[in-house]
Amino acid sequence: MARQNGANEDYVRPIRRLAVSVLILCLFAVFLLWRIDSPRAERFRAQLVDWVVPNMDWAMVPVTETVNLVRGFQSYAALQRQNRELRDELQQMKAWKEAALQLEQENAKLLDLNKVRLDPALTVVTGQVLADSGSPFRQSVLLNVGGARDGIKDGWAVTDGLGLVGRISGVGDKSSRVLLLTDNTSRVPVTIQPSGQRAMLSGDNSILPVLEFIEDAEEVRPGDRVVSSGDGGVFPAGLLVGNVVQARDGRLRLRLTADYERLEFLRVLRSQTVDPIEAPAELIGPLLPVAQDVPEPEEATDG
Amino acid sequence: MADRMAGLWWYRTLYVLFAACLAFVQLLPLDPGPGQWPGPDLLLAITLSWTILRPSLLPVWLVAAVFLVTDLLLMRPPGLWTAFAVLGCEFLRSRRVLLRNAPFPIEWGLATSVITAMTVAHVLVLSIFAVPQPTFGLTVMRLVFTVMAYPVVVFLAGRAIGLVKASGSGETLGAGR
Repeated sequence: MARQNGANEDYVRPIRRLAVSVLILCLFAVFLLWRIDSPRAERFRAQLVDWVVPNMDWAMVPVTETVNLVRGFQSYAALQRQNRELRDELQQMKAWKEAALQLEQENAKLLDLNKVRLDPALTVVTGQVLADSGSPFRQSVLLNVGGARDGIKDGWAVTDGLGLVGRISGVGDKSSRVLLLTDNTSRVPVTIQPSGQRAMLSGDNSILPVLEFIEDAEEVRPGDRVVSSGDGGVFPAGLLVGNVVQARDGRLRLRLTADYERLEFLRVLRSQTVDPIEAPAELIGPLLPVAQDVPEPEEATDG
Repeated sequence: MADRMAGLWWYRTLYVLFAACLAFVQLLPLDPGPGQWPGPDLLLAITLSWTILRPSLLPVWLVAAVFLVTDLLLMRPPGLWTAFAVLGCEFLRSRRVLLRNAPFPIEWGLATSVITAMTVAHVLVLSIFAVPQPTFGLTVMRLVFTVMAYPVVVFLAGRAIGLVKASGSGETLGAGR
């Protein structure tokens, strides 16, 4: 075999080199194609993930559960201390619960008095986290609800029931990807509550995303509540996101309300797009009859 | 010769299995969310070390296919990292005469420089094409971990699956394509 190779080497080697060059060029072309036509490439990727990952479910679920079980045993040791802390916390919570109940009753009464109707379009689809992004540089999770079965669409907001987690970015038939707020590419317009300041929440791969473009940073205090502002029409307004903290580097960051340690079941908010106002205001008056009655039957007989 | 071909295909199957297992472990939803350290890029370490140990073991098309699929599954820009992995393997393969009798530190040094060059080139191309990137610290951390994992991968390849360097000139496995 060695001798054969030696004899063949003279013309095998250039051909091989050519083939490798072509392969590398093709790979760069794939990258360029992805860069130029990102939506189509990402759709292809979503289809591939949709095809592969739900099929691995039978193996992934037992492994994940086993690891979590082992971790649970490890935390068993700290149970005594944790129990005491929880009792203390429970005492405080009881006081809060009482206050909350009273507030809820008061709120219900006020809503009733004002005849407020909550938005019926805001319904939810709950999904289970199937898989991680697989890379520490990308912050996303894969949900087991998808476009074909559950009507998930790109851009819908995802919460963990309490706080905003991220948004849908990439939909397959049986699965959809949630881009977390901590991802490098995540940008969400938010409002900082008591002062009403607008800001942009941008992820930077750390557990505390940064608040950028604050109108007047002087008015923002650590501890302020932050909710989504609904600017840009992507997210519904008023979803709780987190609380402001001042980080060690002096920038204002956000401690997220959603529990990022335990992303297991997530809620996707079905948000309807709000029609943008395009035309200027028109004359207000009774609707004029439109002369459409005559041509319609003719078209119908033609067809 | 039939034995050798069978061994070759056995190692190739093993390689694909390793790649699948690595992707599987990385996809497990154990710690979603940020704040974890980027581990070593084990697939790259395995690919480079196997290429140095037996240049004929991993053909170009296999490396390209495996890396392209992992690119797609692990949300990397598809194609780019694959292209650099293929280039790195080709570079090491073209140095196979030098590497055949080289002591381990030299081999490790060469692998380190290849991994570093790949990472730097990847970062450069991504910034030229204005693709959003992870922070510099995380990239460097992953590079360091990969370089540190390299001897472990070589050791395990020798111990666990009997893949050792075919030294000397009589062995033909190193001369293939």
